[in-house]
Amino acid sequence: MQATISQPTSRVRLHHRRRVRFSAVLRHVVINLFLLAVVLPIAWIILLSVKTLPDAYSGKLLPTEPLTLSHYEFVLTRMPQLTQNLTNSLIVTIGSIVVTSICAVLAGYALVHLKTPGRALVITICTATLFFPTRLLSLIPIYEIQRSIGLLNSVWGLILPYVTLNLAISILIMRGIFEQIPSELAEAARMDGCNAWQALFLVMLPLITNGLVVLIIINFVTAWGEFLFAATLTNDQSKRTLIVVLARAFGGVGQFSWPRLAAAYTLVIVPGVLIFALAQRLYFKGLTEGAIRL
Amino acid sequence: MAALPVRSVRHASPLARGWGNWIFLIPATLFFVGYMLYPIVRTLWLSFTDYRFLRQAPANFIGLQNYQFALADPMVGIGLMRAAVFTLVFLPGMIILPLIVAVLVDRVRSRALGAFYRVVLLIPAVIPGPMIFVMWRLLYNYEIGPINTVLVDVLGIFTRENAPQWVGNPSLVIPAVAFFEWWWGLGYHTMIFLAGLAAIPRDFIEAARIDGANEWQVFWHITLPRLRPVLAVLVILRFGTAMAVIEEYLIFGGFNRALPTYTWTVYMYDLAFQIGEWLQGYAASIGWLGAIGSLGVTAFLLWLFRNKDG
Repeated sequence: MQATISQPTSRVRLHHRRRVRFSAVLRHVVINLFLLAVVLPIAWIILLSVKTLPDAYSGKLLPTEPLTLSHYEFVLTRMPQLTQNLTNSLIVTIGSIVVTSICAVLAGYALVHLKTPGRALVITICTATLFFPTRLLSLIPIYEIQRSIGLLNSVWGLILPYVTLNLAISILIMRGIFEQIPSELAEAARMDGCNAWQALFLVMLPLITNGLVVLIIINFVTAWGEFLFAATLTNDQSKRTLIVVLARAFGGVGQFSWPRLAAAYTLVIVPGVLIFALAQRLYFKGLTEGAIRL
Repeated sequence: MAALPVRSVRHASPLARGWGNWIFLIPATLFFVGYMLYPIVRTLWLSFTDYRFLRQAPANFIGLQNYQFALADPMVGIGLMRAAVFTLVFLPGMIILPLIVAVLVDRVRSRALGAFYRVVLLIPAVIPGPMIFVMWRLLYNYEIGPINTVLVDVLGIFTRENAPQWVGNPSLVIPAVAFFEWWWGLGYHTMIFLAGLAAIPRDFIEAARIDGANEWQVFWHITLPRLRPVLAVLVILRFGTAMAVIEEYLIFGGFNRALPTYTWTVYMYDLAFQIGEWLQGYAASIGWLGAIGSLGVTAFLLWLFRNKDG
C-alpha cells in the first residue's frame, strides 16, 4: 500500500496517524461496552447466588454481608427432586447429541462424498425446514405418537422428538465440513480397497473433529434447554427436565427463594459455558472450516 | 461388506446405481419422516376435522370450517398482530447490533484480542434459551431486579413506587423480551457476519481507501453490498423464528390473554393442550394459518432480496 501512493507530507501523515489511533481506541471502547453488556447480567446472577438472604432481598447491587455458598449446598443436597431433574436433563441431552451426530455425519458424508441420487432434493428439504415453523406444527401429532407408543411422560422418549429439532441444521453443517475434505482423499481410500464405511471411519472421521465440536455445542444448547416438548410431553415432576422445573418455579420465599434459584441457574448455565470455553479453539476452527455456511 | 450388494445392484440396473448409498441417509430419514414430515402432514389433516383430544368420538372431516371460524375469531387476528409487532421491534436490533459489532471486531488487528472478543460475545449463545428467559425474568424483577435498582438507586430516574414493571406492564413486556433476545443472539449473529466479512477480499477495501474513500463510504459501498446474501438469510430466518416465538411468551406471560405475549402461537397451544376438550383440530388450523401467513411474508422477503441483487 505504501508503495502505491505518493509520499504524503509529514503533517498530513501525522494527522492521519492520530486519527487512526483515535478510531482504534474508540473501536475497542465500543466493543468492550458490548462485552460488558453481555457479561454483567450473568455476573449479577452468579453474585446473587452467593449473597445471603437479607442481601438478596435488599435490592442493592453489592452485598454488605460476607458471601456464602449455602444456596448451592441447599440446592444440591436438600432438593433431591432437582437432582433427579438434572439426571433427566443429562440423559436427554447426551442421548440427543449422540443420535443427532450419528445421523448428521452419515448423511453429510453420503451427500458430499458418495454418489447418492436425490442429493439436491435432500439439501433443499433441509434448507426449507429452516424457514418453516416445524416445531409448532408438529407438536400436536408428536403428542399423539408418543402416547400411542407409550413414551408419554418418559425421559428417554424425549430423545426421539429432540433429534429432529436440529437434524436439518446438523446435516447442513456436516455437509459444509465434508465439502472441505478433498474428494481425492475419498477416492484414494476407495482405490486402496476401502469400502464406503471404511473410508468414512478410517479416513474421514479424524478430519471432521472440529466440525463435530460445532455440532455437539449446537445440539447441547438445544437439548439442554428445550422447553416446549419437555413441558408438553412429560407430566410428573420427577420425569421433567431441569429447565421445565426451573422455568415453572418462580422465586419468592421458601424453597425457591431468589438466591437459591440463582444458584440453580448458575449450575445449569456453567456446564455449557465450560464446555464452550474448553472447546472454543476447536469450535472456531470448525466454523472457519465451513460449518457456518447455511 | 457393503460392496457386494452394491455391485450386484449395479449389474441389475444402471439406474439403480448409488441407491445403495441411501443406507447412510436412512437414520436421518427415519427421524425426519417420523417426527417432522408425518406430524406436519397430520396437523394439516387435523385442521380439516373437528378433532378434540379429550372427546372419545372420532374426528369428522368438516372441510374448511375451522379456517372460516379462525378467520372470524378475533383472538387469531390479535394474536397474529401481536406476533407481527414483536417481530417489527425485534428484527432491526437483531440485525443491526451484530452487524456493528462484527464490523468493529473484524478490524481488530491483534489475534489474541480478536479471539477473546469472540469467545465473550458467544457466551450467551451457549446458554439454553429458557434459561435466558428465566434469568432475565429475575433481572427484570420489579423489586429486586438489578435493572430497576440501577434506574432507582444509581441513576435516580425513577422511585421505588413508579419504577417500570418490565414484565407486568403490557406496553413494556414486548420491548423487554426483544431486548434479551438481542442480548442472546448478539454473539451468534456477529459470528455469521464475521464469516461474511472474512469473505470480502482485503485488497478490494485497500484499493478503495487508496482512492480516498472514508470508512463510511467503504462500509456503504463495499462491505454492505458484499454482505447482502448473509443479510438476506439472517433477515428471513429471524423473521420466521420471531413470528413463531412461543417459549418466551409462555414463560413471561403464561396464558394471560390480556398481555401482548398471548400471540397466535400461545393461543394455539392453549387450545390444543389447556382449554376444554383440547380442540386440536381447531388449533391445527390456527397453526397452519400462522405458518402460511409468515411463509407468505418470507416469500416476499426472498423476492425483495433477490430482486435487488440483479
